Amino acid sequence: MKDVMDKKVNTPAMILLILGLSTIIFPLYLTVVIAFKQPSEMTNSISGILSLPKVWSLNNFREAMRITNFWHSLRNSLLITLLTVGLSIAVHSLMGYALGRNKAHSKFYSFVYLFIVSGMFVPFAILMMPIAKQTAELGLANWFGVVVLYVVFYMPMNVLLYSGYLVNIPIALEEAAKVDGASTWRTYWKILFPIMRPMHATVAVLTALAVWNDVMTPLIVMGGSEQNTLPLAQLNFQSQFGTNYNLAFASYLLSLIPILIFYIVCQKQILNGVVNGAVK
Amino acid sequence: MKRSKIKYLEAALCCAAVSMAVGGCGNASDDGKIQIEIVQYKPEAANYFSTVEEEFNATHDDIHLKISSPNDAMTILRTRFIREDYPDIIGIGGDINYSYFVEAEILADVSDYEGLQNINQAYLDIDEALELVPTDGIYAVPYVANAAGVLYNKDMFEEHGWEIPQNWGELIALCDEIKAEGILPFYFGFKDTWTCLAPWNSMAVDLSPADTTKQVNRGQTTFSKEYWEISEKYLKLLDYGPSDPFAYGYNDACTAFARGESAMYPIGSYAAPQILSVNPDLNLDSFVMPACDDHDGNTLNSGIDLQFCVTAECKNKEAVYEVLDFLYAEENLQKYIDAQTAIPCKEGNFQLPSILDGMTDYILEGNMKDYQDHYYPSEMAVDAQIQTFLLNKDVDAFLSKFDTDWQRYNRDIIRLVQDYEKEHGTAN
Amino acid sequence: MKNDRERTFLLITIPILALFVCFNTIPLIRGVIYSFTNFKGFGSYDWIGFRNYIDLFTDARVGKSYLFTFKLAVVSTVVVNVLSLVLALGLNSRIRAKSFFRGAYFLPNILGALVVGYIFNYFFTYIIPAVADMIGIEALKSSILSNPSAAWIGVMVVCAWQAIAMNTIIYISGLQTVPEDVYEAGGLDGATGWKQFKYLTFPLIIPFFSINMVLCVKNFLMVFDQIMALTKGGPAQSTESISYLIYNNGMSGGQFGFQSANAVVFFIVIVAVSVAQMRFSGKKEEQL
Repeated sequence: MKDVMDKKVNTPAMILLILGLSTIIFPLYLTVVIAFKQPSEMTNSISGILSLPKVWSLNNFREAMRITNFWHSLRNSLLITLLTVGLSIAVHSLMGYALGRNKAHSKFYSFVYLFIVSGMFVPFAILMMPIAKQTAELGLANWFGVVVLYVVFYMPMNVLLYSGYLVNIPIALEEAAKVDGASTWRTYWKILFPIMRPMHATVAVLTALAVWNDVMTPLIVMGGSEQNTLPLAQLNFQSQFGTNYNLAFASYLLSLIPILIFYIVCQKQILNGVVNGAVK
Repeated sequence: MKRSKIKYLEAALCCAAVSMAVGGCGNASDDGKIQIEIVQYKPEAANYFSTVEEEFNATHDDIHLKISSPNDAMTILRTRFIREDYPDIIGIGGDINYSYFVEAEILADVSDYEGLQNINQAYLDIDEALELVPTDGIYAVPYVANAAGVLYNKDMFEEHGWEIPQNWGELIALCDEIKAEGILPFYFGFKDTWTCLAPWNSMAVDLSPADTTKQVNRGQTTFSKEYWEISEKYLKLLDYGPSDPFAYGYNDACTAFARGESAMYPIGSYAAPQILSVNPDLNLDSFVMPACDDHDGNTLNSGIDLQFCVTAECKNKEAVYEVLDFLYAEENLQKYIDAQTAIPCKEGNFQLPSILDGMTDYILEGNMKDYQDHYYPSEMAVDAQIQTFLLNKDVDAFLSKFDTDWQRYNRDIIRLVQDYEKEHGTAN
Repeated sequence: MKNDRERTFLLITIPILALFVCFNTIPLIRGVIYSFTNFKGFGSYDWIGFRNYIDLFTDARVGKSYLFTFKLAVVSTVVVNVLSLVLALGLNSRIRAKSFFRGAYFLPNILGALVVGYIFNYFFTYIIPAVADMIGIEALKSSILSNPSAAWIGVMVVCAWQAIAMNTIIYISGLQTVPEDVYEAGGLDGATGWKQFKYLTFPLIIPFFSINMVLCVKNFLMVFDQIMALTKGGPAQSTESISYLIYNNGMSGGQFGFQSANAVVFFIVIVAVSVAQMRFSGKKEEQL
């Protein structure tokens, strides 16, 4: 980290990034402003939409929290997301390891690899009805069933990522441990798993993001039960004949915060560049 | 450092395990009460239904009622049907889904329900007509209806001395007059394709037979013939709307109309809450779309917005009827009408919402016909086809596609109808 | 020892594979079975053999949705990969407020579809035409979302805006695998700027490039949320993506059987496209 201070800041990159930021600041500004306004302040004129709300009050946020049963839904969302992420890191990295290390020389593993990765391309709509039926048959029509499904649905992408990452990790590391008499299982957890930390963080972010915003899976698996996730509860703001955008925007801003914090924590892990040190 | 990730993982797993133990889904306690569950498809009425649920449970010791008003109820219902987990009562609209549910034998015959006697016959007839092939039973109890026509800005009309048009000629003359004063006659939100159906439906009731689709299914007529006049007249309306109506959605149109950017908005009564949320002071009223050249030919476009059906799997019909009695009690129905600007399907002394003033005569006379789109299969996307037509303005192409697509999308229904007729002779 | 390694790999693979088969393959097979019926999604159904598949190849609407979806996928993939690679390089270079920038550029991906749809609708319907009016660009004076031949560009912009965050993250994690000393060695040889990227950085992140290409093509071919939020298939059915048709007509409409057939064919098409892609980039990797 020290040498960052020594070298000078990359100015062209800074300028580019700041310019690009406008494409994000502007929509975000609109979101925040609308979240604070009342429905009666909504207009179709540009000056109207850009103007600041007449009163800055947290009422929209309070009302949005009441409608979505915020703390309860948040708990469900957090539970499902964290558990999915934890299981994904454990299960998918193992699978990525087994397949990534063997697919080059074994027909069986190469087939399994393609079989799983191609699962990524199954249109969800074709699975919906059978899954609704199957989860109910197995007694999984609840949040745990949702987690199991997520672990399966995101397996293709994560296996692809993990086995891609393993290409850059020399096999010599494992062989060195083997010489010391450690089993393959132990070697994996002691040496490889920690090395893959940037990838764990990447997988965590991508999986968490997909899970956090997903409506469909919880809708068909546990829809109609009293248990809501945040995106499910947020469906309450829109119906065909009327949408309260102000409350909806307030609610979306609220649900954005946890995942943003999660990302900021994870992205530091992505950057630590453990591989560099390990290879040397 | 190395272990930190594993620790996170462990922590997550522990959290999950704990909450699984603590917060397991609570099944209602077994206190001998009969459990009745309603799933109804109008989330905007969720507040009303949770009040009803509370009041019902407070006054009934032997029955426990649960009403859920989920968004995307159709998806939820379908997934529950496939799981064979049927609610006792479902609240749905009087549209093609109802037709399908009757055909699929998911619903129970409720003709023994005494409350049916007080239901407006016009709406029972609509339900009867929705059945793909005639049946002996009654499978739904209509609750409320909505109506479509033209909403107008009453203050603006009074200020300029404009009269409510009684026929097509007067409507066009009125539009010309409004336009001449520099005001936009209509607003449209055609970016949301379903809004294209509102003027379509309200003109179709005036200009084509109520059972057009059934006649087509029997091979007695074609849409090219029945819908020609509507299509021509619809194109005419475009001249009096915004220059690019396909840029604006339903929400834009509601906002614009509420802000006085147009004098009229051809849409249904269901739009009133959204319009009034933008401008609560707007003096809103409605009139029947006068698409006929002759005033007497005009009809109100009204269909069932919400009706309750008992599922065939339901085991406690008496309890269900008790719940229905409660729902149809006049004071409850009135509350619904007030909250949702709806039209009751029950006869009685109800106070209709003021925005329906211009339509009241038709409602009282029972001079109304169902929305034609309630007979269109949603996958045919007639709304999008109308939007395409309004963009291309080619009546011939639109209607001939309508005819060919209809045969394709309704193949199974047409076969069903023909089989039925072979067996029973042509029913009329 | 060799046995231990092989046994461990098998013990890892078999249970996870079983789980996968149970919740992905079996439901898929059940879905495929529906594609030979006229199932509406509920009630009874009849076996109709290959009728759905025959219909599929004569359905102009399905054909149109394939054209639209592939056009969107190709253009968006190129746009997203170029922009997110530039962004990843920028975010990975020596800049101030790194965390802030990384957080900010991540935001588009977490804003809900309702918010994104509303804001971009507003943007295309009101703001762009007003700006075009001010500076006098005739072509942009009416909303591009109301123009059947241009609406796909609007969808593309929103897809790209949302997708860049995810691809950037993958590129950034790829850039972490490039050892610092490669640059140092390259610097001595005079490789800087574009040359450094072309000959040193890019070859090393090729695996991530191919992952991103595959994910991008897959995500855009299966585009659904952005269509729902922005155009709902309009205007004039010009932006109906394949997934939109499958979901809308299969789940919400009564065409479950037919759209299952559509989904089966679509699945085969995407797998074919992706295998071709992986073959191609696999060869590239070997060359370098």
